[in-house]
Amino acid sequence: MTTTSEPPLQLTAGEQLVRPSTSLGVFSRPRGDTGWQSWLFTVDHKRIGIMYGAAALLFLVIGGIEALLIRLQLAVPGGNVLSEDAYNQVFTMHGVTMVFLVIMPMAAAFANYLLPLQIGARDVAFPRLNAFSLWAFLAGGIFLNTSWFLGGAPDGGWFGYAPNSGLVYSPSNGMDFYALGLQIAGIASLVSAINLITTVLNMRAPGMTLFRMPVLTWMLLVVQFLLLFAIPVITVALFLLSFDRLFDANFFNVAAGADPLLWQHLFWIFGHPEVYILILPAFGIMSEVIPVFSRKPIFGYPFMVFSGIAIGFMGWGVWAHHMFTSGMGPVSVAAFSLSTMFIAVPTGVKILNWLATMWGGRLRLNTAMLYSIGAVAMFTIGGLSGVTHAIAPADTQQTDTYYIVAHFHYVIFGGSLMGMLSGIYFWWPKMFGHKLDEKLGKIGFWVLLIGFNLTFGPMHILGLQGMSRRIHSYAADSGFNLWNMFATVGSFVIAVGVLLLFLNIGVSRRRARGAPPVGPDPWDARGLEWMTASPTPVHNFDRDITVTRQDEFWHRKWRIGTDGKVTRIARATDVAHDGSATDVHLPSPSYWPVVVALGLPLVAYGLIYNLWITGLGALLILGGLYGWVFEPPDDPEAHEHDDHHDADPSDDSGNGASGGGTSTNGEDGPDSDDGARQLAGAGAAAGPSAQAAEEQP
Amino acid sequence: MIGERAAGSSGRPLWRRLRLVLIALGVALALTACADEHPLDTLTEAGPDAREINDLFFPVLGVAIVVFFLVQGAVIYLAVRYRVRRKAASEAAADPGGDDLYGDDEYPEQVHGNLRLELAWTIIPTILLAVISVFALISLVELNEVSAAEDDLRVTVVGQQWWWEFQYHLDGDTSTPPDIVTANELVIPVYQQVPLEITSRDVIHSFWIPRLNGKRDAVPGRTHPWVIEADETGRFLGQCTEFCGLSHAYMRMYAVVLTPAEWEEWVQGQVIDAAPLEEGDPGYEGQEVFLANCANCHVVNGVTDVNLDGVLDGTEDYAGANSTTSALVAGAAPNLTHVASRTTFAGSIFDLYEDRAERIPYLEVAERGDLNRGDLEAWIRNAPERKANDADGARGMTAFPGLTEGDIDALVEYLMTLR
Repeated sequence: MTTTSEPPLQLTAGEQLVRPSTSLGVFSRPRGDTGWQSWLFTVDHKRIGIMYGAAALLFLVIGGIEALLIRLQLAVPGGNVLSEDAYNQVFTMHGVTMVFLVIMPMAAAFANYLLPLQIGARDVAFPRLNAFSLWAFLAGGIFLNTSWFLGGAPDGGWFGYAPNSGLVYSPSNGMDFYALGLQIAGIASLVSAINLITTVLNMRAPGMTLFRMPVLTWMLLVVQFLLLFAIPVITVALFLLSFDRLFDANFFNVAAGADPLLWQHLFWIFGHPEVYILILPAFGIMSEVIPVFSRKPIFGYPFMVFSGIAIGFMGWGVWAHHMFTSGMGPVSVAAFSLSTMFIAVPTGVKILNWLATMWGGRLRLNTAMLYSIGAVAMFTIGGLSGVTHAIAPADTQQTDTYYIVAHFHYVIFGGSLMGMLSGIYFWWPKMFGHKLDEKLGKIGFWVLLIGFNLTFGPMHILGLQGMSRRIHSYAADSGFNLWNMFATVGSFVIAVGVLLLFLNIGVSRRRARGAPPVGPDPWDARGLEWMTASPTPVHNFDRDITVTRQDEFWHRKWRIGTDGKVTRIARATDVAHDGSATDVHLPSPSYWPVVVALGLPLVAYGLIYNLWITGLGALLILGGLYGWVFEPPDDPEAHEHDDHHDADPSDDSGNGASGGGTSTNGEDGPDSDDGARQLAGAGAAAGPSAQAAEEQP
Repeated sequence: MIGERAAGSSGRPLWRRLRLVLIALGVALALTACADEHPLDTLTEAGPDAREINDLFFPVLGVAIVVFFLVQGAVIYLAVRYRVRRKAASEAAADPGGDDLYGDDEYPEQVHGNLRLELAWTIIPTILLAVISVFALISLVELNEVSAAEDDLRVTVVGQQWWWEFQYHLDGDTSTPPDIVTANELVIPVYQQVPLEITSRDVIHSFWIPRLNGKRDAVPGRTHPWVIEADETGRFLGQCTEFCGLSHAYMRMYAVVLTPAEWEEWVQGQVIDAAPLEEGDPGYEGQEVFLANCANCHVVNGVTDVNLDGVLDGTEDYAGANSTTSALVAGAAPNLTHVASRTTFAGSIFDLYEDRAERIPYLEVAERGDLNRGDLEAWIRNAPERKANDADGARGMTAFPGLTEGDIDALVEYLMTLR
């Protein structure tokens, strides 16, 4: 479906102000590829990915400071670093920040940056929607954190159980910020999920069949489906909570006949798939890193893919294991206990397949590899403790104790975050053209690993000794003193490890100035993302790539002889594109995603403080959408130096087994806002549906 | 316990670190191994339900620890066995930014997978988990069995911000008003299964005496069945474990387990109402202070003249002796009829008697214990200062700036008559 068959209207370009024109439908588009505006208005998936990552690291610092405050408070019995009220706010925001503003956007960073590259596409399917996702996420995150300065942050826990999250029991505006902020962030995730699913399904390079896609692409695809179905559930719950708090509705008012377990079911129907939303991207990253540095293909690709899909399905059937003690009745408890136990199977398969990938390899213990191996080891611990509380009777002792805190930190910190740190070290040269320092990286890894185990290992013991979660204080005679002190010391070791990462980023960046570029393929890697210059040129690839097998790029460098010996047939620099193409048509930047995203927090502030502000925000959103719809597909001025695609459509070195693309169909097209489509549109694998991949705001 | 190995991945420094960590852990464990120092310990059970849970947990933990060592061992073995060292620095310097620093053309055999192996490690864990789940389900059924007879003791447990109320139905009939209403200390006879009906008057709490049984949530509007049984006498600490707001940490309770004879004696002391004091009786001034202030929320059976039937079965809030509307969101405050017979107050965070009352037999604390006057008076004077609450929002005990020190002394004297 095309937006118009007319050529774009001629317009006066170069105006930088966001100012709706009075003449219908004639707006300029922002231009330029340097300066802050080039970031603010970009629709380039790579810049969006980098900004997602930067925001995630910023929130990691905020969430980390909150964690340190918690640990300081609990270092000794009867701690008085924080008041009870402040403690509740800090632990709530620590959870909310780490889940929604660190791990999820960091996964989004990798998804945005890598997913189009890994499938050989020019960009995502809907570049402007992609920009909108970023800004909406950022708007939600900043909105949430402004609650600190507006009378208090949310204090009902990240899980916000009703009725404790209601107005009577949480009278500050904090939980309003929670409910509305997460809805905004949810919009971002939902939009992004639709965008990335469309991208993977429609925009793969010629020959890139689903079962030639890298495991990371697969895991990200599964995650987007999980988001697509999970976010609406939490949105419903948050919507009901907002109505209870803002408009005196009675969804969770027990006196009016409500059952508070409704919230728990809604929250965990979202919340448990959310766990897999957090972990699967890291699984994907580990499945990319371990093969490259083991110098072997991933062991059992189909098992890796299908176990990921299986986790994606089974993840929907285990939510009530968060509620074993909330009184569901023994039959429900038994059913969810069983399903929870068996979700360990596909996860275990993944762990053993990673180990089998390492088996017989030639391991290069780079920082990226260390983090991936560390993530395998640490996640295993989290998985095993998970099995012990899948046993529902045992869970009645363990739930809501520090045993659970230990468990999910081993999963989410030890698994997700370490996996993503591995990804940061692995793809940093692709993103910025230089490697991170290995020595600092390895020191950082060991510091982080030791600090992590020092912090969360003792929490297993604390939990079994009966220390409850979410308590701001414990009595001196509870016997919790020693291990809490261990954990607090450990948390500061973790902080040193994180600081070493930032130091590394700074040091490596400075050293890289004037140094020769790192080349397209610094690790002798396997995925298509390495088949172009580093940092990735704005147009990704110079030519279409025709894919004939898994690990296409690697197979263009190496040949496996009949005797199984691997011999080099080409250097990476010979195979990879050098990014010199100058005639590639790209989607133009746009003002409107930012404008629309800016309207969202205004609506939310207005709901809390003054409905007039809501009106203003709604007008901004409507105006933004109006501008978005009538925005000309291209900036005609830009064509002079960045004209349309006319390169050889099929890649010279591919053998075109699956009928590589012949012509791109977006030439000069008024419908070519989504220039990325051109690259993949003609591929046999992508099929005619690619033509339909048209942005419809 | 799993998890505290600094289990890591690879490399020689790991061994040295691992050894240090193990030594440190050994020393630390030796220092903290004593169970008496962990009043909430889930692993030193004092009742059949907790034992049933641990009998299930320990074998599963054992399997988990075996798998832990197998996987971590494999990780370390593989990382050490198959690692390749970098080129010397001089060689690396000759190829800056080159795509390889390790030696270019060395690739191991390219193995893509092994169907048989992968099926094996899909099926074996499935069988293992299936076996475990059989035992888990058996335990689940057994833990939900109520062996107590219909007319045995039954206790309704009510959670509130931030303390626990226990309503005793000596004849097991929860449809009639309770025989005893007490707070924070659940007194039960040893070797007798006591069915509980757990609910809440405000937010969700969770009832948990770890050494006797697992936890069960107290959800407003719902009544959850649970049982508790002890096979040794003593005081067992409990803690609210569902986050319930400001003083979540300060919502504790005790299960006090007595011999059957002692328990009968305790019941006899509790079922009787308090006698209103006459002018001239010791504590009479305190009773006047109590009726003018405390009785807005607190009940002393026989003294505060209120019909409690509707309050106790949850159909109406306790309006207080002197007002027509509830002074509290939850609608009730601890019943103080026999407050001096308890050993703790304010959600069991303060001892009522000096010197840890467990040295004195439970039934004799009121006579032989030395009153913990400091905490009690401070609590009456300004409760929000001692335990965070939201008195302005009608949640928790308010401060009484109007009381003189003389009033407070009189009040304490009165409370001590409530044995």
